[in-house]
Amino acid sequence: MTPESPTLSRRGLFRLAAGAGGLALLAGLAGCAPRSTAPIASGAVDLSFWTHDDAYVKFFTDAVPLAEKASPFAYDIHVTKAGAADIVTKLIAQAVAGTGTPDVVGLEIGAFSRTLRGNIAPELLVDLSDAVAPFGDDLIAARRAPFSKDGKLYALDSDTPMTVYYHRADEFERLGLPGTFETWDDFLAAGEKLAAAEGVSLGAIATSDPGGTVQTFHVHLLQRGADLFDESGRPTIDTPEAVETLTMLSAGVQSGAIATVSDMYGPGMQSGLKSGKILGVNMPSWYSTYGIQPSAPEQAGAWRIAPLPRFASGGGRTGAGGGTGFAALRNKPATEAGVQLITSTYLDKEQQVARYKAMGYLPTLRSVYESQELIALEDEFFGGQRLFEVYRDIIDEAPAVHQSENKPIMDTVLSGHLLRAYRGQVSPAEALADAAHDFRGQARG
Amino acid sequence: MMSTHTELTVLPKNLRRRHGGRNLRGGAAPYLFIAPFYLLYALFMIVPVFAAIVLSTTEWVGIGAPTFIGFDNYLDLARDTSFGGALVNSGIYTLIAVIIVVPVSLLVAQGLNAQGLKFRDAFRVAYFVPMVISPIVIALIFSLILDRDYGLLNASLHALFGLPNVDWLGDPTIAKFAIGFVLLWRTVGYLTIFFLAALQNVPKELYEAAALDGAGRWRTFTTVTLPSIRPVAAFVVVTSFISAAQLFDEPYLLTKGGPGESTLSVAMFIFRAAFERQQFGYAAAAGVVLFAVVFIVSQALNRILGIGRDQ
Repeated sequence: MTPESPTLSRRGLFRLAAGAGGLALLAGLAGCAPRSTAPIASGAVDLSFWTHDDAYVKFFTDAVPLAEKASPFAYDIHVTKAGAADIVTKLIAQAVAGTGTPDVVGLEIGAFSRTLRGNIAPELLVDLSDAVAPFGDDLIAARRAPFSKDGKLYALDSDTPMTVYYHRADEFERLGLPGTFETWDDFLAAGEKLAAAEGVSLGAIATSDPGGTVQTFHVHLLQRGADLFDESGRPTIDTPEAVETLTMLSAGVQSGAIATVSDMYGPGMQSGLKSGKILGVNMPSWYSTYGIQPSAPEQAGAWRIAPLPRFASGGGRTGAGGGTGFAALRNKPATEAGVQLITSTYLDKEQQVARYKAMGYLPTLRSVYESQELIALEDEFFGGQRLFEVYRDIIDEAPAVHQSENKPIMDTVLSGHLLRAYRGQVSPAEALADAAHDFRGQARG
Repeated sequence: MMSTHTELTVLPKNLRRRHGGRNLRGGAAPYLFIAPFYLLYALFMIVPVFAAIVLSTTEWVGIGAPTFIGFDNYLDLARDTSFGGALVNSGIYTLIAVIIVVPVSLLVAQGLNAQGLKFRDAFRVAYFVPMVISPIVIALIFSLILDRDYGLLNASLHALFGLPNVDWLGDPTIAKFAIGFVLLWRTVGYLTIFFLAALQNVPKELYEAAALDGAGRWRTFTTVTLPSIRPVAAFVVVTSFISAAQLFDEPYLLTKGGPGESTLSVAMFIFRAAFERQQFGYAAAAGVVLFAVVFIVSQALNRILGIGRDQ
């Protein structure tokens, strides 16, 4: 005899499903409940560390003994590596979830600007102003600005990425060029002749992806003494300095003195360097490690660096580009341990020397530029040149970079108008005025 | 339909009650069997759609409480020249997909279906390989080929015809078509598989009848082949339209939407607003607009092409 199936009304079934759903929801919410946030004051600490760069993993891992000496913590660092932009996306997602945020996070300068929108930075990141106060003016002010908002410092920069003029000394000698140009006018005059006679360029700028296009303009603009934004994050692109910068770059592109490549790290740039068609480039200090050496290792010994040519009407001999700030997350058990890891490893003079020697990142403490150990360093890729002598010479001219929550908007808006100017479709002044107009539209007021 | 009705009317009384009554003698089993589908469908389809619609009426940076702003995001989209440009670009990509990619796929399928073709399998593999290659690799290869100064294409054109360098990815107009070409290269093989399957199912008798009637190749193609593969062609057109309207990989990887915003697609616009600008409400509004456009045009194509209707 087959037992009769129990009957169940449709309403009963819905009640059953609703009950099960409710239980599941409660169980889920219980799982999401915030864990204990009792701060760890000393002793062993498991520290979650996020970065986009392998070099930082090695640096912080190696620096643990120093951090343990300078703090009451015994660190066990757990590393998560992700793309620079993905780190901010994931950070925010985990913050919304209420769990899984890191204790220390490395924020690439372009990605950091996203945390300036709304209250993301103040809500998530520790204000490091007090922690760096003892260092006073020795902590280079130009590198505090990019990671500050409303007077609060949310991350410590790992680098002072000054721009220099990288150039092929062997080709310069063959062509009878000087090692440095006094002004950009001199540079353009020599470049125009070379482009016509030899088919080579003295510089290169990116023209394909918006971020790269704006970056190569931005480094020149900073050198001229201007910026994309002011201290309050308001756009400042429709200025005489910006027009002058764009006029110089447009003239260079149109005469062939400056080559255009899709991006500064891509195959086009690599081909240009390898074939000897691009003989120089104005890029930050880290570009040697990430651009020139991987692209043309066979040219070791042929390259040199020099301060940038000046703009005749003002500015310094260097600009700035890039940077990565390290921040500690607020309201976590390991918050204090995170702050102490960052400050003890980043603001220690010996560590700054070690960081430059290992990674090529320039110190952020002004006093380290007097280090005889660094000044005496000779770089084989640059024919034994003492690079630090050049950096020490220009460090006091390093410009501050001001951030804005609207930097990503600026990148996309400005890049198109820069290209119009480079192509000669509009004058530099018109291009920048149009960019300012479009920016206001896209920034929604 | 009629016969089913008849069968139902002769069902025993107790069974009829089981079907029509409130109590379910079959118990919970049938509902439990279908519950996973409805649960997952609601969780992953219905809820996100409504969440996106609700989100589109707010301003939210990704953290903290969203602020309700009504239809401001939609009004801003209407004024945003960047979104207008993205819509136009996506329109161009869909036109390339429907007007160029689909016919080329049919042409290739026709070629592969030809009698006596040697190395047929090798050709099929060759056409299909782009579909299984990672878009990252494709972007790398094409950025090498299409580079203005150092690319293979310009070098070849210069060597063969003495042509000057063309800025395939740097010129605002040409870049759109360069992306269209990569789209063509990547998807033709995939669509060809559908057409090939359809062509192989066309009854040979129809071709024989057409030949007896004295129809030439073109006439045979238009009066026998096309009508016979119409359901598959319609399906390919609609799916090509939908995927091209949501195109993201090619412009993102090849040009990042540049130069300027000249290759920006709507999908890229949404990604950019959400994950580069922290404007989640604005991105959701753009997503809702894209959904509406794709839905309306797809429905229109369904009606025009008669998808799901009998011959």
